[in-house]
This record gives sequence, structure tokens and C-alpha cells, in this order.
Amino acid sequence: MPETSEIRRQKDSQSNPQGEEIRIGVYTCHCGGNISDVVRCEKVAKVLSEMPNVVVSRTHMAMCSDAGQAMVEEDIRERGVNRVVIGACAPSLHEQTFRRTVARAGLNPYLYYHVCLREQDSWVSGGDCEGATEKAIRLMAAGIAKARHLKALDPIRLDAKQRALVIGGGVAGLRSAWDIARRGIQVTLIEKSPFLGGRMAQLETTFPAGETARELLHDLIERVLAHPNVTVHTRAELVGVRGYVGDFHVQIRRQSRGVSDDFAQAQAEAAIAACPVEVPDEFNYGLTTRKAIYRAYPGCTPATPAIDWENCTLCGKCLQVNGQGIDLENKPETFEINVGAVVVATGFRPYEPRQGEYGYGEFPEVVTLPQLIRLLALAGESEGLEWNGHPVRNIAMIHCVGSRQIEGIHEPQPDGQVNDYCSRVCCTATLHLANELRGRFPNVNVFDVYQDIRTYGRGHEDYYTQASANMVRFLRFHAEEPPEVVPAPDGDSCPVLVKIKDYLTWGEEIEVPVDLVVLAVGIMPRPIDDLIKMLKISPGTDRFLLEVHPKLRPVETAVPGIVLAGTAQGPMNIQESCAAASAAAAKVAVLLGQGLVELEPFVARVDPERCRGSGQCVEVCCYEDAISLQTFSVNGREVQRAVVTPANCTGCGACVSACPNRAIDVQGWTLEQYEAMVDAIAADLPASEVGV
Amino acid sequence: MAEKPKILILATLSGGYAGANSVGQLRKDYPTNTYILPVLCPCLFPEDFYLRAFERGIDGILVMYSGTDSPYKGGPERAAEIINRVYPMMKERGIDTRRLRLVAICTVCTGPFLKEVNEMNDLLQELGPVRRERSSTATPQPQTVQSRE
Amino acid sequence: MASDKLRVDALVVGGGIAGMQSALDLADQGYQVALVEKEASIGGKMIALSKVFPTLDCCSCITTPKMSAVAHHRNIHLLTYCEVQSIRENGGGFVAQVLKKPRYVNEDLCTGCRQCEYACPIDLPDPFDRGYGAHRAIRVPFSTAVPQIAVLDIENCLLCGKCEQVCPVSAVDFTQTPQQLEIEAGSIVLATGYEVTPRDAKKEYGGGKLPNVIDALFMERLLAPTGPYGHVLRPGDGKEPESIAYVQCAGSRDQTLGVPYCSRVCCMYAIKQAMLISGALPLADVTIYYMDIRTFGKGYEQFYQNAKAMGIEFVKGKVARITEDENQNPIVRVELIDEGSRVVERTHDLVVLSVGMLPRYNPQPLYGVPVADDGFVEVPSPNISPCVTDRPGIFVTGTAAGPMDIVDSIMTAGAAASEAAAYLRARKSASSVSTTTGKERELVYA
Repeated sequence: MPETSEIRRQKDSQSNPQGEEIRIGVYTCHCGGNISDVVRCEKVAKVLSEMPNVVVSRTHMAMCSDAGQAMVEEDIRERGVNRVVIGACAPSLHEQTFRRTVARAGLNPYLYYHVCLREQDSWVSGGDCEGATEKAIRLMAAGIAKARHLKALDPIRLDAKQRALVIGGGVAGLRSAWDIARRGIQVTLIEKSPFLGGRMAQLETTFPAGETARELLHDLIERVLAHPNVTVHTRAELVGVRGYVGDFHVQIRRQSRGVSDDFAQAQAEAAIAACPVEVPDEFNYGLTTRKAIYRAYPGCTPATPAIDWENCTLCGKCLQVNGQGIDLENKPETFEINVGAVVVATGFRPYEPRQGEYGYGEFPEVVTLPQLIRLLALAGESEGLEWNGHPVRNIAMIHCVGSRQIEGIHEPQPDGQVNDYCSRVCCTATLHLANELRGRFPNVNVFDVYQDIRTYGRGHEDYYTQASANMVRFLRFHAEEPPEVVPAPDGDSCPVLVKIKDYLTWGEEIEVPVDLVVLAVGIMPRPIDDLIKMLKISPGTDRFLLEVHPKLRPVETAVPGIVLAGTAQGPMNIQESCAAASAAAAKVAVLLGQGLVELEPFVARVDPERCRGSGQCVEVCCYEDAISLQTFSVNGREVQRAVVTPANCTGCGACVSACPNRAIDVQGWTLEQYEAMVDAIAADLPASEVGV
Repeated sequence: MAEKPKILILATLSGGYAGANSVGQLRKDYPTNTYILPVLCPCLFPEDFYLRAFERGIDGILVMYSGTDSPYKGGPERAAEIINRVYPMMKERGIDTRRLRLVAICTVCTGPFLKEVNEMNDLLQELGPVRRERSSTATPQPQTVQSRE
Repeated sequence: MASDKLRVDALVVGGGIAGMQSALDLADQGYQVALVEKEASIGGKMIALSKVFPTLDCCSCITTPKMSAVAHHRNIHLLTYCEVQSIRENGGGFVAQVLKKPRYVNEDLCTGCRQCEYACPIDLPDPFDRGYGAHRAIRVPFSTAVPQIAVLDIENCLLCGKCEQVCPVSAVDFTQTPQQLEIEAGSIVLATGYEVTPRDAKKEYGGGKLPNVIDALFMERLLAPTGPYGHVLRPGDGKEPESIAYVQCAGSRDQTLGVPYCSRVCCMYAIKQAMLISGALPLADVTIYYMDIRTFGKGYEQFYQNAKAMGIEFVKGKVARITEDENQNPIVRVELIDEGSRVVERTHDLVVLSVGMLPRYNPQPLYGVPVADDGFVEVPSPNISPCVTDRPGIFVTGTAAGPMDIVDSIMTAGAAASEAAAYLRARKSASSVSTTTGKERELVYA
């Protein structure tokens, strides 16, 4: 049995505008009977062979087989076929296969069109052979019609600058920078504050492995700083961005440190001591004060102190210690660097309870969890725990402060919103600390006031089990009936009472007299409105930065080349931040690692001859900087014309339908092609086909 | 034998087109007078694309987009806006607006796919060819176009 | 038979979502990757799910593009139906002996047309449908399988030869034998996934003998458009259930089962399924018995609150026992914690056990990678290096390193790819003379 049938004939052929004769090869696959049992493939091939521009029309038992592919290659090489249409299985299975086939024969792979005759015809047409055959003919005719209008396309190749910018010097930014650097890509890391380490530096022991936060951090910082591909700027902020993936130009503004690196350690101590200014120390969440010339904490990186320009009175006392190396004039400088991608690792801030929320700001006995961590660190090796000059014997820890808020129950934030999300880390962090309290101060009673205990992570549940074993007392409230913190009646042993309707004891109203109330505050994104505007990225309804899709593209933003790392995207613990940061680095490596960004050519293209500069395309486009109006000079006249930035275009086609002059098309999916396909479907079949 | 109505299905690669393939996998039959064309996002098609298709003899159009699953920002909304503008234009031309439908079909929405295709086919059997509808329109279109000198 | 050799940069073991994503993240960087999957199709557990939380995207719509990308990627060598049998070290890299199991179908010829499947007279329980649906002894694993190549279960085959007769491309080959393949790889990513708690694990919950007590993975199949019944029915008698209960932590946070940890996904999948059931059976009541609701991920808490608003009943209580009445309706004995730990018995039509995640594979013997007490791969520095195992050059991603959801698996997949890429680069520069142009080291502090 012959495997192929060949029907060729000479006929008038159409040429494309470039004068090239269009010679289409059409192939109808039997798919081993899957198609041919229902569709009369020989008939299809015969009808197609009579269509204009078709120079070869064949069938084959299995086009995807080596023999089938070889046949196509031979027709391209020997018979001058320059457009190929294959009707076979679904394009998801073999479109790529056949694109490679035509490419092997020297034809541009985009001069191929795939028609689905199996999943969308023979398999869904029951025994209706006539109907299925007619459908196949029309679908193939539509494919031929499109093929007549196919143009050779090349993938969009953009030179990619092999440098990335990482914004944020916390653990996520550091981890991201390290991964990118190790991958052989240059990294510039900018940190807004004068010191590296971010929020993690303010932690002590970490869960789940009990490692010391600053030791882990310093190890990472050292590795980052030691890497030859890394440049770090502290006290530096992004102030401007232009360009697109592969080629961003970013402006960075860097403030002076005020103290030079060669300023000796001993002198630094003396200079700090000499400073008369005392301001609340943000490192200890305001529990202590620091000077206007300061280090974030002992052992911080860089070790050189910095001048706090906002609070320095320029009194010059520090200069008197040693004028060499201190310069009390802030000389901000702005410079530009060229990067291929940007990692946003701007991190989080702890939720700041509003005045009076659970007594916060009203009673000195109410502190936040981050404050308690600092408090315990400051307490050092002392035997008893003291707060506000009083010994602490009873502590209540209240969960979900600034998290899992419900509209109508919780008072909204200044921006009118409630934090309706879970902050993920607070449950384990609270229990971790509860255990530490019980371990260090066995006489201190800990009351844990919660809704749900969410010790979800690997090893986290152990903290919960351990807390129960450690006699931490659990009290459970419902979101609608949150606990209250009230002053204790005069003469009570403790200064405040926590009143709670406890659902572990049948909704009983319980009053717990305590010396200290700890609010397990949630995580909020840092306010980075300027950055969001500059980078043209968007926050979600929870105000955290939004990824394109949590599963398909979890670290990418809608702006190509701008990726997210860590808690800027949502609450995460250290482990999760590091995983996310490394994943972001992988994405940067994909974009920049090969020095070239290659994108599918299916993007909008403007015909400048037809464009009248109406700007309607720009109006409908949902992507930043994908299409814009630019001024050109035509015959000495200034005109506006739309210009597509292929790097930012997704090819959705919104601009195509908006253009009043049909001046825009999506390459590979043009309106002209669709109209030709519709015409082919609607057309009467050739006379020979009547009564299939 | 009466000519079968022609149904054009514009199906997104990320939605309806893949859904149609799932129907094929399950070997569920539906009428053969259905012609599926792959699209990235139907927001590509301007109003006159649809009108032109009806003019050329397409009897019904199903736009199977990806709805909220669409990978294209704003695309589904825009496609819906355009199609909403097509309806009054169809009315003006005497074309039954039920001949054009925008539906969200996912990659494994085999049930909804079959329902839409069959309902459209039944409807078109009832309505008859679009050509007849357009010629019996109450406000006839100018039959000839004056050539401009 | 002579063994084939393949040289790649990275060997990814496991073709579930984590393995696929790691392979893609490496291959997209230009690295050559071999992806070895023991099943006949990639897709892992994820491809069998109905919809995914919290977006309620159709799961197939998220998974199939990745499966297809893996199959077509020019830098990925996809080896399905293969198992790694041994690993040895080779100059900082690894050599893996891989067994290619016989499909009894010629991969180069098979077009996935399923003629053989229709002709085959043998029906077997389909693991894809948790054993409730049936498949033939020769079949394409499932409708969206990648690759679309049939596989023959020779152990259950009658050797009747019907498939051979109907195959239009003569792809059926009963003479196939196992083949050896040698893969040389610079690094290895373990993505061996998880197992769910067996249905009979807990005697108090019927020990798998109550017909209308099912596990949540089966409910996924019931809710999937391609599921075995095409509708939510209870398997005992095919009745449409009017009252459905979820028992949370059925296999997690349970010392009696030796599983003290939280499985992380069960709260969210139960809520998701409850929402989908509300859509499929609008009149059905859904109750979720829980200890703590742990909806901690991005958008998860909001999802939980929506479910509450939809009328899904959440009851804080530990289910002590499940029995059944004379009509096979499961009876749930539960301690109602919000009501002073009152113990009640409630009858439902269908009970779904929110089963947990168990380690599936111990890589210690083959890969020399130790596991921790929980049975999952040990990660010595979990905070800073969550994907680095105890053995240099071998990295771990996804649920092989402990329970996690799809979003977190995908994150760690990218992280493992980053680690493997950095390792490969360090190895390359260590083994070759330094060719760096001595770029100025620039360290700037303000």
C-alpha cells in the first residue's frame, strides 16, 4: 500500500508583495487511522491540491514519524516549498516538532501552520465521515489561507546587560545577590539604611534550628561582600528608572556616611560617646536610645559608624575627638547604572498597633513581640525579668494583632483597609519566645491568647507541643470577641488585666492579671509608594507586591525583568524568604545568564505608513511602556506615530482592535490572516467537492 | 439537503482551544460544522471583524476565551466590551444577536464546551442561514456601493 | 544490551510540579537537564487535582503548560518510566545508572491514539482515580499525560494480542526488555515528592473499610471535570451526598501515627473542596471538623473567610471515631471544643479524610542524602539554604523536604535550580584555569 499520495499540478500562483512566489506544501496526516478512519484524507488532499499556491498536497500514515518529517524536508529542499501546512493531531503535541522540521530544511520556522484534525475533527465527529471530511477541507483551506499571509519571523532578541540591581539589604536581598553573583552575573545591591541585615538582624535565636540570627546573617553578608561580582551601596535609594528588561537605566542616590572607612574603631567609640544627641533606637524598637553618630548594633556591617543626618545638630563634638575622617556635610550623589533586571527585596515592617489597641500606647505594660525580642536580648543573663522597674511574673501574649482583621470588627488602618491576611510567622515566633521565657524565667507564667495556632512549618509544631509541656496556658478567643486589656483595680497584684471569653472553657469570661502584655503583631509591607511608581509594578489588595501568577510566574511582576524576593511580596519567615530570593535569582539568571533575552515574536507591530498617531492603541494597552506615541519628522513635518517596545508587549492584540486605521497587527496572528481564514471557511467548496 | 450552518469558534490557546482538545480526548461528538481557530486573546478582533464574518456567510460565532484565567491583563474585559458594541450593530443590520456569544471555557471544561456548541447549533438550525436574515432585514442596507472617482 | 549514555549538567529526579519547575528553571538558563520520572507520565500529584487554591484556577490549566514546556524544551531530556538504580561520584559530579522500564510500546512509533486501549479486554483499578475508576492493561496513563504514549501493564496482561492487532503503527512490542541508561550529571536535584496517609492508617476512622469514608485526593478526582463519575457521588451506593464532613488532621499532628507535624495543605484543600462542592451540589451541607485552621499563605485567610461567608460550617473539634449506620452513613464522634468539649455523634452521607503528607522516598541508600526524624530529606541549614542537602552537589526541592503546597514547592524549585546552577559554575571554574578577566572588585560603602 502506498504510504503517500502525491498530487501536484502547475497552476497560476500568487506571489507575496516581496515578489517571492508562494509555494505551499500541504500534508494531511492519517495518524495511523485516527484521522483517516473518519476523515477521507485522500479526498482532502485532492481538493487542497487544487487550491491556489498549493504546489504539493500529500498524505502520510504518521507525519510525526521520521519518514513523514523527511518528506516535508525533501519538498522544501527539492520542490521549493516555502510555506508548510500540516493537518494532524493537536498543535500542543507536534507544532514544535514540525517547526523544527521546516527549520532543519532551511525554512523559517514561522512559515509553518498546524491544523488540528484529530482532537478537533476526527475524534469528535462520530461516524459522520462526510461532515468530518468537509470540516477537514475547510480547516485545511483556512490553514492554507493563513499560510499565504505568513511572514518569516525571528524571535525577539534583546541584548541583556549582565548586571542585576537588588533593592534591599535584608536577608532576601542578600541571599538573592549572592545567588546571582555565584551564577556569574554582576550585582549591585542598594540598601537604604547605613547598615546591612534588615529585620533579621533584630532577631536573636531563630526557629526551627535554633541558630543565632545575626551569626547566620553575618555569614551570609561576608559571603556576599567577598564575592567579586557584588557591589554594595548602603544609604542608597533608587530615584529613577528607564528602559526595559535587559537594559534598564537606574538612577541611584547615595547619601554620605559622614564617617570614612579608615576611621579607627577606638576613635569611633569615643566619637559616639561624645555625641550629645539621644534619639530612640529603631534597632531596639525604641526601647533604648542611640546617638546621632551611631552603629546599628555591635558587630554590624559595615562596622564604620554613620551620621544620622536627620538628628545630627552639627554641634561638632564628634569632630573634637578626631576631626580626621568625619565630615559633617551630607553630600548626596546621584549616579546611573545599567542593569538587565531588578530584584525588589524591600522587606516588611512590623504592624504598629494603633493608640489604645489592646492598651498599646496607653499602658506601659503593653509591648509588641519584636520589642519583647529586644527586651529579652537586653536583659542579658539576668535572673529575673523586669519591665518598667517591676518584676514580671505573668505575661499574656496575644496573637493576630494587625493580622486576620475582619471588616466591621476591627478598626481600619489609616488607609481605610484592614489587614485581612495571616502574617504567617507570628504563631511560631510567639511560641518560640514563650518557650524561651519559660526556660529562662521558670517563675514567669505565660498565657497564650490565640484564635488558631498556625505552627505549620517543618519543625514548628514542636514549639507548640513544647509550649504545652512547658505549662504555657492557652486561651482561645473568637475573632468577633477579641480580648480586652484593662487596668487592674487598685491594690491588685498586677497592673493590667486581660479579659477574654475563652472557648477552651466553654466561652467562660476569664480575667488574667498580668505584668506584661505582648502583642504578636503582624507583618506589613514597607511603604514604598515611590518605588512602586518608578518601577511601574503594582501592589495587591493586601498592599504587598503582586506577582503575575502565584504558580505560573510566582516571583515575576507584570513588568518584564522586575522580580520579587522576600517579604515585599507577602509575609514569609526567613526560610521562605531565602527560598523566594533564590527563586528570584534563578529568574534573573534565566533572563540575563546568556547575555541575550529571547522572546517569541508574537508581538504588536505598527505599520508607520498607516499609523495616523491617534493614540487609541496607547489608551487601551494594559502593559507599561509596551506602546507609546513618539514624534517623527515626515517630509519636514512633525508627526506622532505609535511605537511598540517588543520587550514589554505580550501580543494580546488590544491595540489591534483599537486602531482606527488598521495600522497595527500582532505578528504571526494578523487580522488579515484571520479574515483570510474566515473567508476560506465560509467559501463554497470547489465544484469537484460537491456531494462529498 | 439543506446547507449546514457554519459556526466559527475563536478559541484562546490558554482556554477554549485546549478545552476543545480535551473534548477530543474524551471522544465526545459534536456537530462537524464547527470551525475552531486558535487565538491568543479575542481582544484582537475589532467590531467589524465579526460583522464581516457574518457578511461572508458565517452563521454563528462562539468566542471561547479564558475569562479570569486569561494570561493577558485587561484582554478579556476588552474583548467583552467590543462584543457588547457589536450587538447593536448586528441589530442594525438585522442579524440576530444570539448568533454571537462570548463564553469562558477552560482547558478541561468539556461539558460547557459541548453545551455551548450544541446550543449554538440548535439555535442556528432554528434561525436559518445568516444570509437569509440579512436579506430580509427591515432596514435594507444599500445594495450597491458607489465607486468614488 | 549495550547501555546508552547521556551527559548533562543536572539530573532532576521526579517529574511532579517541583521537579518540572526545577528542570525548567535550569534548562531556561541554558543548562542541559535530564528529568527522570518513574511513572509513565510527568505531572506528579498535581495533575490529578481539580482546582488549585486560592485562585481556583483549573489545575490542568496550570500544570499542562509546564508539562508541555518540559517535553518540548531543547535542553531537557525527558525520561519517563525510568528509575535511578545507583549513583556514584565522579570527579565532583555524579554518574547515575538508570533503568528504563519496558512499556511494551515503541515510543518512537506510538501516536497516542488509544486504539490499543479500546481493544484491550482487561480492566484494572486506575491509580490516577485513586483506584475508583478503571483503566485497561494497555493505556495512555491519562488524558493530559505527557508523553502521550501508551504503556502496557505486563503483569495484568493476558497476552491476547488484540492491542498488537489494532495498533495502526505497529508500536506494540511484547519483546521489549528493561534497558540500562547511564547519566553523567554535574549535580542532582531530588524532587521525589510525597505520599498521602494511607486510607486504612487510622483504625478509629474505619481503617479504610467504610465505603463512604474517602480521602481528599479521591474527592479531587470526584470534583475534576475528567473524574471517574463526572459528578460528586458517594462511592458506597452512588448516592448524591447531602451532608458532607471533612475530618482535618486525619494523619497529621497525630502522635499515635508517628506523624507529629502539620501537613500544611489540608486546611486549604478542604476549604477549597468545600467551596467546589457548594458549587457542584448547592443544596449539600458541608462541615469541616478542625483543630486549628491554618490558612497562612498569600490570599489564604481571605479564602477561609469567604468559605465561612458561603455557609460552610467550621466546627472546632477533634474527631475521635468514625463508624457507620445500617445505611452505610458515616457517624462522626466528635468532641466539640467550643462547647466545653461536649462529645456528640453526627451522621453524614459522606466523610472526607483530610489526609496528610508522608515522605515517599528515602534517598539515603542510593544518594547518601540523610533524612531527618520526620522521614523527609534533612536540610542542615534550613533558614539560609533551604534546598541544600548534606551531600554537596545534591539539592532538594518540593515535598521531598517536607510538606508544602504548590506555591511553596514552586518557590523551592526555583531556589534548588539556583543552588544547582551556582554549584555547576563553581565546579566548572574550579576544574578549569581561571579565565576571569580580573574584573575590578568594587566595594562601596557610603
